[in-house]
Order: sequence, then structure tokens, then C-alpha cells
Amino acid sequence: MKQSRSQRALGRLLPTLVLIASAIFFAFPLLAMARFAFQNLQVIDLGWNNLFEKWSFSSITASFSDDFFAEALTLSLKLAVGTALFTLGLLIPTAVWVHLRLPKARVFVEFLTILPYVIPAIALVAGIVVVKPHARWFLNSDYSLIPFYVVLALPFTYRSIDTGLRAIDLKVLVEASRSLGSTWIATLFRVVIPNLRAAIISSTFLTVAVVLGEYTISDVLLKRTFPSFMAQYRQSDPRGGYALAILALLGTTLLFVAIGVLSKSRSTRPQQVSRSQENEILV
Amino acid sequence: MAFTHTSPKKDEGVVATAAAPLLFSVLRRVSAWSGLIPFFLFLILFLFIPAISVFSQALHDADGSFGFSAMREAISGQNLDAFIFSLKFSAGAAFVGVVFGGFLAYAAATATRPRWLRNIVSSFSGVAANMGGLPLAFAFLSLLGRQGLGTKILNAFGWDLYAGDFKLGEVSGLITVYSYFNIPLMVLVTLPAIDGLKSSWREACANLGGSAWTYWRRVGLPILAPSLLGGFLLLFANSFSAYATARQLTDNSKIVPLRISFFLGGDISIGEDAVGYSLAAWMIILMGISMAAYWLLRRRAERWSNS
Repeated sequence: MKQSRSQRALGRLLPTLVLIASAIFFAFPLLAMARFAFQNLQVIDLGWNNLFEKWSFSSITASFSDDFFAEALTLSLKLAVGTALFTLGLLIPTAVWVHLRLPKARVFVEFLTILPYVIPAIALVAGIVVVKPHARWFLNSDYSLIPFYVVLALPFTYRSIDTGLRAIDLKVLVEASRSLGSTWIATLFRVVIPNLRAAIISSTFLTVAVVLGEYTISDVLLKRTFPSFMAQYRQSDPRGGYALAILALLGTTLLFVAIGVLSKSRSTRPQQVSRSQENEILV
Repeated sequence: MAFTHTSPKKDEGVVATAAAPLLFSVLRRVSAWSGLIPFFLFLILFLFIPAISVFSQALHDADGSFGFSAMREAISGQNLDAFIFSLKFSAGAAFVGVVFGGFLAYAAATATRPRWLRNIVSSFSGVAANMGGLPLAFAFLSLLGRQGLGTKILNAFGWDLYAGDFKLGEVSGLITVYSYFNIPLMVLVTLPAIDGLKSSWREACANLGGSAWTYWRRVGLPILAPSLLGGFLLLFANSFSAYATARQLTDNSKIVPLRISFFLGGDISIGEDAVGYSLAAWMIILMGISMAAYWLLRRRAERWSNS
């Protein structure tokens, strides 16, 4: 290739600059929040000279003892478990069915699963407010959030399970199991699900991350979930609010790291699979 | 479990249509689709009914009869201002995300030296792309809020961020904050496309006497174009519909999702109720158009990454 030396140096410098600038942009907000949350100083006084002074976890331990903390966290965790189970119970049979009996519907079903992007949470909750007078017996319960959270997580979870199914030879496995005399139920639980373990775990983690971070619906419907509590708590104690946010971030990050590790461990599979795994987080 | 009672025949009806009577093949087709009934029921109950209810409320006139007055009101006056404002910052945030995300993805994909670099960038993007919501808003409040640490640092360099009309809840601020999840999202969308660029194409271009510029203008960018454009639409939809982050940053009711929740909050007379739903209805229409275009573009982009 005919390239002058200066051109090539520029070609190497530019990506480096982009990477450094991105590192700064992505690290600084988190670092700033950490100082706000864990330094026991007035926000106005934070500066270079007291960078290492008075760090403490007092803000977060104080928030733990708030009356509503345990209540909100328990509700969110219950919702997370409920949503994850509901998701698996609904999506595994559906995805397996599509792969076995209706391959031509695959694109159609995949299209349906990205509809939550078309009807975002704020529009969905507007619809819930309309329906509410007709279904108070259901929607008054905190647990009525579960199916809606299943909807919100659908683009991520379906894709994750679908990718898992593509990576195994489902048809052969099922036919082998059936011809050895196994029932459908046994085939599902003893052949399909064990082979989908990684996909199931990553879709569960994705669900949990979505539920623990969901704010729109619970804010409009005035449910006391963990994010709502976090927002409310910040009003009375900003430092505690920031500390809770950091805690939530750490939790979610761990979940995603776990997903990453899980999808790596399957890298013995063909290249194509691991590549599509890379963006299973989104549409 | 839906498929416990299925017949053991698993061929896709190819053989059946030739020989078996029509009724039989119709039955088979129906039974094949019947396995999706639980899934369809679920979507109807928890996604379609709410969405249709929004439209049914939006298409009511003040006297309760069918009409478009609320839909019209939702795109006039202050509501129109809100839509323009939201369009502006969402398009801006999407543009910034596409440009920086594209460069970052390219830098990560082509960097060879630290081998872990690409993995770090793609894993981090997976986390950050999903990091909307409260923590993100809090992080930027502590960095670029009025008392934020970044604001102070910039001040020390003689740049008073708040001297102009910068505010986290205004266009420039929202673009900055939303870039935090838009750029990583773009990285995730474009990395596979950039991987799809074969080095042989670049070599072929060089052999034919093309410069790096020729390569990008005639080969690279045209191939990436569907991915980049699709990415733009995805980021646009993502920014337009974000609620939680915006809600914590500002009370600015020029942001459409905040405006919808303001109407849903219900401190307003009954007649204006429909306007809130009309805003939501317009939003669904807008998101529908962007996502449909995104879907088509993605199909097109996959043409190169599958080979």
C-alpha cells in the first residue's frame, strides 16, 4: 500500500486518541459519583486538596437502616425471580416449538419480540393506566408488574434463548430422545433444558438486570420498587442515593460480567455463534 | 406445557400437501401454529391491549365520540414544541453516538497490540449500553451538575460550563448524558459489521491503485452504510423513549416521555386526558417507523456478515 509515513502514524494515533478519550468519558462520571457517595464532605468543598479525606461507607449503611429499604429491595427481588421464571416458562416452549415445528415463523416471532422497542415503557404504562379501572383486582397487586417486566425484557431474553437453540442440533436431540421412548415432558427437562443451560442462565441474568433497574412503570404506577426507593431516598439524603446507585451498578455489572464469562465458555462452538452472542444484549 | 399433546409427525407439511386431502393439511398447519397460542395470548394481554387502549383513548374527542382533535392537539402548541425538542436532542444524541461509537468500534476492532483491548471494549459496551436509568443520571449529576466535579475542573481551566445555556436537562446536556449508553450500543451494533469487512477487499482496492480514501468512499462506507444508518435509528428510538434518566436530570416537560407522565399524573381536567394518550400514540407511531426502518436495514446489513 502506498501510504506516507506520516499518514500511517496518523492512522495509528487516531484510534489511540479515540480510545483514551472514551476511557475518560466513561470513567469520569462513575468516579465523580463515587466521590459524591463515599466522601463524607459537603459537595461544595470537594476539590483536589481533599481527594483522599474522609472516605466512608456511612452513607450506604445509613440507607440500609431506612424503613423502606428492605421492603423495596425485597419487592424488586421477588419481581426479578417472578419475571425470570415467567420468562423461561413462556419462552422456552415457544422457542423450542418454533425451532421444531414452525421454522418459517422464526422471523415473525423474532419481529414480535422487538415490539417492546416500538411500544416503550412510558407508552406501555400509559396503556396500563387506561386498562386499570377494568382490572383493578389484578393491577392493584405489586406482582402485576411481573408480566409487563417480562414484556420489557423480551427483546433480550428471547434472543438469548434463540441463540442458545441455534447452537445445538435440537431436532436430532429431540428425535433421539423420542425414539428412545421418552415423553415430551422428559425430553424437555432432561434433554433440551440441560443443553440450554448457558442460554437460560444468561437470559435469567438479563431479566434480573432489567427488573432491578426498571423505573418508568413503577414510578408512574407508584409502586415501591428498589429504583423508586432509590429516587425517593436521594431527595432526603443525596449521598445515600448516590451510594445506592453505585451498589445497583455494581450488582448489574456483575450480572453482565457473568453473562460474558458464560458466553465465552461456549466459544468452542462455531465462530458464527460466538459472534452473534456478542450483541445478544440488544436487538 | 403447550407441546405435550402434539402428534409425533414432524415433517413440515411438505409431503402432506402433495398427497393428503386439503382439510388434513389445513389441520396440520393449524396445529403447527397452535403451539404459539400461549405466547400470542401473552402478547395480546400485556402488550397489544395496553397499546390499543392508548390509541382508543387518543382518538376520543372531548364529547367522547370518535375524532382526531386530541391527536391534533398533541402536535400543536406546547406539545409540538416538546416533540421538536425531543426530536432535536434524540437525533443529536443518535448522531453523536453513531460517529463516536463507529470510531470506537473501528479502533477496538483494528487495534492489535493489547490483545485484551477488543474484549474489554465489547464487554464494557455490553454493560454500559444497558446502563440507562437512575445510576446514569446520578453519575452525570455528580460530574456535570452545578456543583459537579467535572464542572469544577472545567472551571479551573477557565471554562464556565454554566455561563452559557448548558443544563443537563437541555439539548447539549441530554446529548452528553445519553452518549453514555448510545456510544456503547453503537459499538455493539457495528462491531460485527466491521468484522465483516474483509481485508481482501482493501487489498483489491489497493492493487487497483485506490488510496485509503478511495477504499472508504467506494467500498468500506457503502458496505457499512446500512449498519450505520440502522444504528442511527436504533439510537434515536432509544434516546427518544428514555424516561428514567431524563426524569432524574430535570423537570423539563419539553421531553415527550416526561410530558406523557405529567399528563398521566392526572392533576388536570378530564378533557385534557386524551392529550397525554395522544402524545403516547404519536410516540408509538414514531417508534414504529424508526424500528421498521431499522429492521429492514439490519436485514440488508446481514447480507455481508453472514458470508
